[in-house]
Amino acid sequence: MAIESVAPLPWLVLLPLAWATLSFLLGPSRGAGIAIVGLLLQAGLVLLLAWQLTTMGTQHHAVGGWGAPLGIDLVADGLSVVMLLMTAAVALPVAIYARAWFVAKPAGAAWFWPLSGFLVAALNGLFLSADLFNIYVTLELLGLAAVGLTAATGERRAVAAAMRYLLATLLGSGAYLMGVALVYGTYGSVSLAVLGGLVESLPVVMLAAGLMVAGMLLKTALFPLHFWLPPAHGGAATPVSALLSALVIKASFYLALRLWFGVFEPLAAVSAAQVLGALGAAAVFWGSVQALLQARLKMLVAYSTVAQVGYLFLVFPLATGTPAEAAAGAWQGGVLQAVAHALAKAAMFAAAGAMILGAGSDRIDRLGGVGARLPLALFAFGLAGIVLMGLPPTGGFATKWLLLMAALETGQWWWAAVLVGGGLLAAAYVFRVLLAAFAPVPEQGRVTGVARSLEWTAFALATAGVLLGLFAAHVVTLLDVGA
Amino acid sequence: MNRWASVAVALLCAVLALALAWAMWDLPPAPVALPAQVAGSLAISGVEHPVTAVLLNFRGYDTLLEVGVLLIALLGMLAAGATPERMTALPPDPVLEGLARLLAPLMVLVAGYLLWAGAFRPGGAFQAAAVLAAAGVLLRLAGPVTAWTRPGRVLRLALAAGFVVFLAVAVLGLAQGAMLEYPRAWAGSLILAVEAGLTVSLGLTLAGLFLAGPEIPRGGPRT
Repeated sequence: MAIESVAPLPWLVLLPLAWATLSFLLGPSRGAGIAIVGLLLQAGLVLLLAWQLTTMGTQHHAVGGWGAPLGIDLVADGLSVVMLLMTAAVALPVAIYARAWFVAKPAGAAWFWPLSGFLVAALNGLFLSADLFNIYVTLELLGLAAVGLTAATGERRAVAAAMRYLLATLLGSGAYLMGVALVYGTYGSVSLAVLGGLVESLPVVMLAAGLMVAGMLLKTALFPLHFWLPPAHGGAATPVSALLSALVIKASFYLALRLWFGVFEPLAAVSAAQVLGALGAAAVFWGSVQALLQARLKMLVAYSTVAQVGYLFLVFPLATGTPAEAAAGAWQGGVLQAVAHALAKAAMFAAAGAMILGAGSDRIDRLGGVGARLPLALFAFGLAGIVLMGLPPTGGFATKWLLLMAALETGQWWWAAVLVGGGLLAAAYVFRVLLAAFAPVPEQGRVTGVARSLEWTAFALATAGVLLGLFAAHVVTLLDVGA
Repeated sequence: MNRWASVAVALLCAVLALALAWAMWDLPPAPVALPAQVAGSLAISGVEHPVTAVLLNFRGYDTLLEVGVLLIALLGMLAAGATPERMTALPPDPVLEGLARLLAPLMVLVAGYLLWAGAFRPGGAFQAAAVLAAAGVLLRLAGPVTAWTRPGRVLRLALAAGFVVFLAVAVLGLAQGAMLEYPRAWAGSLILAVEAGLTVSLGLTLAGLFLAGPEIPRGGPRT
């Protein structure tokens, strides 16, 4: 069979569903091996899709052979493929990490593999779907898998955090579904392609768009709707924290971006975009300050996510109603931030997990000696921190550079101030951890070694976050396909 | 939550309700008429009832993922460590138990009818599964069925069977040209096979949400 005739689109959903089901059939705590094989195949499929995209343009698949609006269409454009690449690049190392993690710490292992398989299938499905209702189904699949994974350690704190997460995520998808119902009531279709030519500024459509975007803000945990995130991301088993912070919140951000600059573009108002930007700026400062104040390492990393989510929303004021060139730069910067943060945050959680395992405590003031015993994990943590700060030549730098240029070109210097200030605050909370880890050892031999794959995967993810800066131009080229 | 927060939430809900009413007051006729398209393609869908045609054929992909949602809802509960030992056993009641034993086979019969009826009138796998699940709940409450934490191999297979069949049909469709594309001649039988599998699996899954899921204990954990 010629490589051109392989259709990666349906397989990107079917493959994770298949290994998830298989690992469920195998039984509790089983399935790490098939998950890793499945994710390797998935990475190959996404690379094939990226190649098809650059040579042949946007890819389509009409599920059931019907075609929209009767059936559901899958569409892969540049934005979808960048998100799929991000998912594959994070999920594979995290799976290798999880395999070693659950040997050391079995709490939460029982149904990790099937749940994470469904989670990956939901992410891929969401990034590929061109149908508003089908996107809702993928959101539900994603949300429930994420909540199940959060609760899986069975610890009281984690279960309580998962319940709060469940209510937040259901409220978010409920608001989205209400918007979908209003859109269907108005136009009689939920296909993005059909709606693209129909949407105009009616009150009912404004309300629908408002509900859908608001639902996504809650799911992406944009300040002040972030209340559910730190306990859930900080309290889950570490491989789960990495998946949640790196990937799950990006799905709802992607959807907000897709809707705002896609079907709802005729409605997008500069004033609303400025509000989103202001909330983003508040998130950067509030999240960073909270990160500085945390006593526990994983809570620090979780609050850092609250801060980093803020940058994502600077895209809206920078690319709404601004000159095309500046808007394109801001858009690219925003998507790159999603990818850079995914790699860096997965690395940071993975490294933090290894350090906590070694130190036997998740308190930052008990990290003394980690620098000497687990240098690679600490190095990975530092590298990931550099990506989050936005220093050259990392992916974080490429992101901030694009956003900064857009801010200056459009004369919105106040967003530039947020970018610079946020970078300094990130430096402060990263150095706080590094200083604690280099502190002299209180008792000899207190810090124990950990499985090597725990450190190496964290390092690989952090390195990918750094290298993203060097390959940013390629990502931007890919992003332009079908945009 | 304090009182002012409650008042604020209530106000927000009232504003949203008014906005919804206002926005929907004067809805123009929809430019796309999907019901007509469904009716137009019903003859080649393999079933005669439009709802079943939409759920299992035109938008079968949504249903495939929804079945996954139900399965992971159960998995999430199992993962969170729901432990049935903490459930208080009801005192044995011979009348209730006798009635449950009498009703359960009838409910299975009703489920079978609903499954078969789905092809041409309201019914289908989800309705049939709901009746099966109700039978499971009844048997649990009356005593004969015990709760479960970790499903064994057979139970896992039964829980996943519907999804596996559906997934296999989705993959087989790729040979026709698209995921979940039914061969015309086989559409009716394949849909019935998927629905039969789903009835059993969804019935067990829905029952499992009750059988496996007692509340998180109040007060301290019992040891």
